Amino acid sequence: MAGPVSYGQVMAMTAEVFAQGGFFQRAAAAFADRVPAEPADDGFFGPASVTWRLHTDLTGPVSGLRSLLLQALHPLAMAGVEQHSEWREDPGGRFASTAAYVVTTTYGDRAAARAAAMRVRKIHERVTGTDPVTGKEYAAGDPALLIWVHAALVDSGLAAADRYGPRLSDADKDKYVAEMTAAAELVGVPPVGFADGGAPASAAELRAYFEAVRPSLATSKSTADVAAYLLDMPDVEPELAGAWEVLANAAVASLPGWARDMYGFGDGGKEPGSVPPDREEVRQVLGVLDAVYLGEPGVLEARQRLTLRMRAVGQ
Amino acid sequence: MRLAARGGARYAANAPRLFAAAGERRQQLRDDLALRTAQDVADTLGTMKGVLMKIGQLASYVDDGIAPPARRILGRLQDSVPPMSPELASGVIEEELGAAPERIFKEWDPLPIAAASIGQVHRAITADGQAVAVKVQYPGIAQTIAADLGNVALIRSLLKMAVPSQDVTSLIEELRERIGEELDYLREAENQRRFAAYFDGHPTARVPKIIDELSTARVMTSELAVGARFGEMLDWPQEEKDLAAETIYRFTFRSLYELRAFNGDPHPGNYLFEPGGRVTFLDFGLVKYFTPGELDPLIHMIETLCLHEDDEGFRRAMEEADFLVPGAPIPTEDVVAHMALFYDMVRERGSRTMTSEYSSAIARRYTDFKNPLAAYAKIPRPYVILQRINLGLFAILGQMNATADWRSLSEEIWPFVKAPPSTPMGEAEAPWLARARPGNL
Repeated sequence: MAGPVSYGQVMAMTAEVFAQGGFFQRAAAAFADRVPAEPADDGFFGPASVTWRLHTDLTGPVSGLRSLLLQALHPLAMAGVEQHSEWREDPGGRFASTAAYVVTTTYGDRAAARAAAMRVRKIHERVTGTDPVTGKEYAAGDPALLIWVHAALVDSGLAAADRYGPRLSDADKDKYVAEMTAAAELVGVPPVGFADGGAPASAAELRAYFEAVRPSLATSKSTADVAAYLLDMPDVEPELAGAWEVLANAAVASLPGWARDMYGFGDGGKEPGSVPPDREEVRQVLGVLDAVYLGEPGVLEARQRLTLRMRAVGQ
Repeated sequence: MRLAARGGARYAANAPRLFAAAGERRQQLRDDLALRTAQDVADTLGTMKGVLMKIGQLASYVDDGIAPPARRILGRLQDSVPPMSPELASGVIEEELGAAPERIFKEWDPLPIAAASIGQVHRAITADGQAVAVKVQYPGIAQTIAADLGNVALIRSLLKMAVPSQDVTSLIEELRERIGEELDYLREAENQRRFAAYFDGHPTARVPKIIDELSTARVMTSELAVGARFGEMLDWPQEEKDLAAETIYRFTFRSLYELRAFNGDPHPGNYLFEPGGRVTFLDFGLVKYFTPGELDPLIHMIETLCLHEDDEGFRRAMEEADFLVPGAPIPTEDVVAHMALFYDMVRERGSRTMTSEYSSAIARRYTDFKNPLAAYAKIPRPYVILQRINLGLFAILGQMNATADWRSLSEEIWPFVKAPPSTPMGEAEAPWLARARPGNL
């Protein structure tokens, strides 16, 4: 029998598994660092917002996974990522920087959020090209693409919360979608109504948006690669494979039916005929993940800062 | 959950000065973060977190200490559990005792003095003027943890990684049992009553008495104990530490051989110290009772090895106790050589100093799977907890650098010797011992 593995090694392994190239540590460091201790103002959302309530829930990882699966279905968004990012070489870095950006715009004060958005806009300026699949030209700063990425994120936040997190009232769902238009505008979506080319500002507009955009979506080798990477997670310890699978299946199960069909997924996972994991089980796995996350330096303190601010306004 | 208690010990560091401490900024922060509703409790200790803390506690005894990354994770997890708000705690008292604490007690401190097993401890003064400690359980914790314990697949994978050397099925069973026990304060109160009754009148060991009429399944009231915390005691002169260690040793093994009960995990937060070797023992949530049939083989092992120095007899005793597969192709001298370390401090008379090195060596020996004996040796289930408590006890005595003639102390206690007192504390025990009666078992 091999020597015993200490609990410490196990937890370190757990962290690594979920980390995938340091994603976990980097995301945690970004969270600890970017939840401000002395914000100049409440930023674009603030402690009373539905956005804070939703984004502080455990469901973040499922929502994030779902968001990436959905975003990959737009050929032009996918082409931009393939041609201009190093997600294949350093997927952890790619995801961590997105996570850090979302943390900054969500919890940072206005100056911090604007500065982060300016950096992203700057990067987007260089992200242009031709999609090899459709032959269409693309530019990351194109409001249509920005809205796509934004809508996928917002929709995923709602879908994950619905199934596995705080079940929002219809009014709060509308409020969340409306609040989040601020994030879309930060990164360059025109600050106008949905009908005039702005971001969806209610749950109904969000649904209408997806109905309208569906004909532009397609799968390709790239989407398949993204899905395979996210759902199979190479190198997951055998003991943890089950836990990871629960999260992956949760993300798949929360996708719209049409998106699952495009990928050829089943109802509750990538295998056809699979059954969705139940809410309790998903939250238990998320809780374990959250415990490891809390172990990263500064995460607990950052969370307490948020809790105190939210409590101060009665949330 | 005793791990939670460890985290809690931090905010209880100034417990005896509590009333004075109220209003400090640190206090303010805690109040701000306090759990205000049963939902807060579920959010904080549900989704596997309470169970994880418990797994960590089990793992910490099975393995050779906890490595830094896991210690950090578990430590943070404990820190992430704030106390209940005064209103939430008050609500539990009202549900359990029928009225708000201000009506039940003459004085009630709304701020907790310590975290406890899945709850927290408040100080109060009863209607007849007695100072008491009131342990209040987090509301809804039982349902929350029960739901998480139902996810056997996830627990199984966590345990498989945490303690691959152990039988996961029996660990899950143990986890369930332990958590079930901790959730029921009536059971803990019953444990504590037995120990309190047995040690009543003991010159140095003290167990706070349970106040029956103020105790239920979720609220447990006992005499308020005072004394220095473990960390403070470590700064005392060595003679004082030796006396305290002697009390802990006597308490532990008198309990085992007379009450056939072993108390909880001996972690530093469960003792309060006063000069002269006086120790108050707290927290009886985790008590293992042994039947004579379970205890006799252990006694037989000690007797053959330590008293008769009969190696073959010791080996047979090990086999009879199911510690060793009969007929294992390992020479008896190797069996004895391997096992002797566990009995090292009681094999010969004379002063010995317990050190952290010794306790670590013992802990390592437990997890030494490279030893050829490992394939044939096991720890039968009734004794698993005993081994852990032993390790914990040695670790405590090691930290205290305690010196004593452990063999002579043991001879006073061993039922097959019952030697006369070997120390002044032993002399002082005599009148108590003459009338001490084991509790009803």
